[in-house]
Formats: sequence, C-alpha cells, structure tokens
Amino acid sequence: MDLTLLAYPFLFLGLYFQVFLLVTFLSTPTRERRERPASIVTPKVAIIVPCWNEQDTIDGTVKSLLALDYPKDKLQIVLVNDGSTDNTQMVMDSYIGNPQITVLHKENGGKHTAINAGIEIAHDAEFVGCLDADSFVAPDALREIVSCFEDPHVAAATPAMSVFEPHTFLERMQHAEYIFGIAARHVLSAVNGIYVTPGPFSFYRMSVIREIGGFRHAHQAEDMEMALRMQRAGYEIENAPRARVYTKVPLTIPKLVKQRTRWTTGFLRNVTIEYRDLVGNPKYGVLGLLVLPLGFVAVIGGVILFVLAIVVVAHDVLKTYFITQGVPLSYTLAPHFSLEGLYLSLSFVTILSFITAIASVAFIIIGKRVSNTPHNLTIGIIGYALVLGFIAPFWLMRSLSDLITGTKRKWR
Amino acid sequence: MPPSKSPVRSLAFRNSILALLITLFIIGSVIYAVNYLDQQRVAQLSALQNQLATDTLSVETQLALLESAPCDDISDTDTLSQEVSTLGGQLSTAESRLGANDAQVIQLKDQYTLLEIRDYLLVKQLETTCHTKPTVALYFYSNVPGSCTDCDRASYALSYLHQANPNLRVYSFDYNLDLGALKTLIAVEKVQPKFPAFVIDGTHTYGFTTIADFETSFPKDFFATSTATSTTATTTKK
Repeated sequence: MDLTLLAYPFLFLGLYFQVFLLVTFLSTPTRERRERPASIVTPKVAIIVPCWNEQDTIDGTVKSLLALDYPKDKLQIVLVNDGSTDNTQMVMDSYIGNPQITVLHKENGGKHTAINAGIEIAHDAEFVGCLDADSFVAPDALREIVSCFEDPHVAAATPAMSVFEPHTFLERMQHAEYIFGIAARHVLSAVNGIYVTPGPFSFYRMSVIREIGGFRHAHQAEDMEMALRMQRAGYEIENAPRARVYTKVPLTIPKLVKQRTRWTTGFLRNVTIEYRDLVGNPKYGVLGLLVLPLGFVAVIGGVILFVLAIVVVAHDVLKTYFITQGVPLSYTLAPHFSLEGLYLSLSFVTILSFITAIASVAFIIIGKRVSNTPHNLTIGIIGYALVLGFIAPFWLMRSLSDLITGTKRKWR
Repeated sequence: MPPSKSPVRSLAFRNSILALLITLFIIGSVIYAVNYLDQQRVAQLSALQNQLATDTLSVETQLALLESAPCDDISDTDTLSQEVSTLGGQLSTAESRLGANDAQVIQLKDQYTLLEIRDYLLVKQLETTCHTKPTVALYFYSNVPGSCTDCDRASYALSYLHQANPNLRVYSFDYNLDLGALKTLIAVEKVQPKFPAFVIDGTHTYGFTTIADFETSFPKDFFATSTATSTTATTTKK
C-alpha cells in the first residue's frame, strides 16, 4: 500500500479549512468587523493581572496598562499575587497608593483562583479582562476591545496577540504563528467559532460571568474552558483584530514543547471530557461541526503525518544507503538535477501541500495587515513553514500520551 | 439573553458549502493539472517513438555502410549513443509515472530494446571491422517483484562506472520483456534467468555483492585505460 494515501484525508481537511477561512474572510460580516471603529463609549472595566513569580515582567505589564487610552476613573487594575516566591510582591506593592490599582496577595491556588479573586474585587465593572503578567498592551487596545461588546449577545472578546519584540529565530517563528492566529480568530469570530479566550487581554461581560460562574481549573486551560462554557450557554465570542497585545514566548524548544503540551492537553481533555457534547453538534454551528472536530483531527493528523514522514524518510535513507554502498560519496552527493526529476516530483500530494502552505503564508500576511502588527515576518514565515512542523509533533504526541495515560504536568 | 444566531448560522452554512465547492474545484484542478502533465509526457512519448525509429534506422544504415565505407568515416557513434542514453532516461521516467504495464510504455520499451540491440551489434561489427575496443556490458534485470533484490544496486553501480569510465558501454535489458529479438539475444548470449545478470566483454556474471567485487568482472586493463569513445547508458530498471 502506498503510504502517502494516508496523507490525503488530512490534506483535504487542511485545505478545506483554509478555504473556509479565506471565504469567510472575504464575507461582508468579517469585513464589517475589520472596519469597526474603536469605541467612543467608555463603560467601566476592570483588568485583572494574575501573577505567579513574574518579578521581571510585571512592572512593564502594569505600565502598559496605565498607558491605555481610557478614562482613569473607568479603568480599574487588579494585581493578584498568587503566592509568588520571588520579588513579585515587592514590585506589586510599589503600586499601592495608585487610585487605579488594587493589589491583592493570596496563597498559591492556581491561575483560575487568582482571576476569580480579582473578579470579586472588580464587582462593579461592566466588563472584566485578564492580562498575563508577561504581556503588554498597545494604548488603543482597550477601546478596540470594548467596541466588540455592542451586541448584547457577545459575552467575550479576544485581542490580536503577537510576540513581544521577537529577536531570536524561535521567537520570530512563534510570531508568525501568532499572526496566523490573529487572522484565524478574526475570521472565526464572524461565524462564532472561537473556542479559546487567551490569557493576554481577553475580556468578558461581567453579567455573563455572574450567570455561568467564574473560572475553573479546567486541566490548566481555564481560558479555553471559559470560552467553551460561554459557547455552550449560547453566547457569542468576538474578536478585535486591532487590539494589539504583545506577549513573551518560550525561548527554548523544550520550554515551547512544555507550553504547547499544556495547551494541547487542556484542549483534548476539555473537548473529550467536559465539552464532548459540543463536538459534532450542529447546535453549536461552525464551532461544533468544524473547529472542534478539526482541532482534534489536527492533533491526530499531525502525529500520523509526522510518523509517516519519519517512516518514508527512514526507508528512503536506508534504501539509498543500501543502493549506494561502495560507490564514492563524490558521485552520490553530486547534484543530479534533471527536468525528468522535477517532473516526477510534481505529484498530487506535493502540489496540494504547496497550495496549502501558500494559503497559510497568505493568512499570516492577512493577519499582519489586519492587525497592523509591527516587525518583519520573513524569517518567521520561513521558520513557521519549514521548522515548526518538525517541533509540533513532539507536543502533539506528548499531549496524546498524557490524555491516554492521565498524566498531569506542572504549569512550568 | 441568548440565543440569536441566525445570521451567523446562515453565513457559516453558506461559507462551508462554498468552501467545499472551492476545495473540490482546487483538488479537481490539481488532478487535472497532474493528468495534463502526464498527457503532455505521453505526447512527448510519441516524439520519443519517432526518435527511436529514426535512431534505429540510423544504426541500420551505419551497419549497411560499414560493408563499403572506410572505418574512419563510420566509427563516430558518440552523438547517437548520447541520444540513446537520453531516450533511456525519458523512457525510465515514463515507466515510473505511467507504470511498467502501460501499453505505450511497453511498446516504447520494445523499440528501445531493439535500438539497443542494434547499437550493440553495430559496436560488435565496428570491433571486428575497424578494430575498435570499447568495453561492453550487457545488463539483464527483472521487474518481477522479489526476483531481483540487488538490481537497484547493480543499476546504480553501472551508472557510476559509466560516468567514471566513458569507455564503458552499458546496455540494459528487461529480461522478461516479450520481444523476439531480446529472446534471441538472451539465447545467443546464453544468459540464465538469475538476476542481476551481466555479460561483460563476453564473460558471464550473476548477482551483485559489492562494487569492488563487481569491478573484478571487468577486463584487467579497463580501469587503467578509460579513454573516451562512446557510451550508451540506460537505467530503465524500475
């Protein structure tokens, strides 16, 4: 059996999803979202910053919040120290006395408990947002976010998240990936297909939180669980594509794999356990019929395609070694380019893979344009296209393994 | 408050159907493009067929001329041999793409094999009449699954030796090809159905272990005196 046949269904689904995103991007409701102006009304909002050992970044995070273009009397900032063991408490305490800021120290109980404690304090806010203490916001981000809540059915709004000052190759690669995420979330918001409200600068309607309850542990994916709970309750989740927030990302591959394993395992556990009823359920529209099933398929497909690639490459390497044994390397390694070889490489799989890759790159460019996110993307796109695919299978396999074996991992 | 999702639902439904149609269109276009390329290749095979016919006639003519013309005027077969080598590469590609059982591929392979045999006869005739001394390797392989596990290695080694020693002429034959002339050649050369099989300057060798071992099948002075004459390299082994 030709092993490449196994790739066909995944290629089809991957292409279909990209085309769906593109078609929806060009639809009028999505265009209207892009053109939506920043809010001129200024309802009372609270921003909770849950912290655990964030002594190096919390100061920058708070400063970016204080620089937000928003009336000071309408913006409350709640810093919650979730039992940090470093100097986070000291940095936080330096803000005591600022009328906009409330500082709370509590015993360590997990991120969801820190956010809930902040919500308790910000009880009179109309909207409540979170900002991870390693993230920084653009001054106009809050007005962009608030404009999403004009429709009373909207329970939450997500920002345009990208990487804070990407310098290294790994950071640039993740930056390109995040920009793709901006485009995807922007498009999916038009069909209410968003399944996660990321920690950096997602906002929630306080009345909805009161109705459906606060944050839960949710397999270390409290932001995803909250989004799914809102979707289950019939609410909509919006996106503000120009509400720029910059976050710090893992600087080494092991840390990246650890972070993504946490995200992916959280997704798999929530979707296969508590929110199983949403998957494949027409009641939840694109989320139930497309986004969640494809998210699951992407995990399985990523692993299968990776294993397939390993098998094919290993087979080819061994075969080449077997065939070329004894022949001088100078002959074997010399380029034997021919038009015949080029012609042979133009197969159904290679052409379709190329089209899918081009569509991904197009979406990264769209994401950058829509959000006006700074920083050059060339190196990031190269990394995204050529390197990330070799790293991702490791967290996908690890997540699947954790799901099957019930393994629990620490946050950091 | 909820729900009020009808506009969202209708947009999602419309776009999912539209996306499905576009995806199917893209996939259909890719299939069409790949098929079109194959068709173009098949069209080129017709040209290949004509080329093979012309080359075969050319070899025949040279054989006929050899009876009356001086050796100096006839022995330049380099250009023709290079063409034969190129044709072999194209045929190999066609075989990879269209399959060894494709009717047109089999027909071309028959013609190509005939051309090879005639070129081989011409070389032998030149050797007798004009006292040229190229080293000739007849290589017989089998495409029957499991019948020749070392044929890929043998093909690769021959390609290397041909590249390293332009004095070497290699003629590759699919042993199982249903072609009278080939069967006659096999009978004349007394080649047994053990693969890979080689007839190098009249000496029979079967099997392939290492390239060093294989090199011992060649005349002792071959690797010392590899002056360029003409070559025919074919790698139609699948």
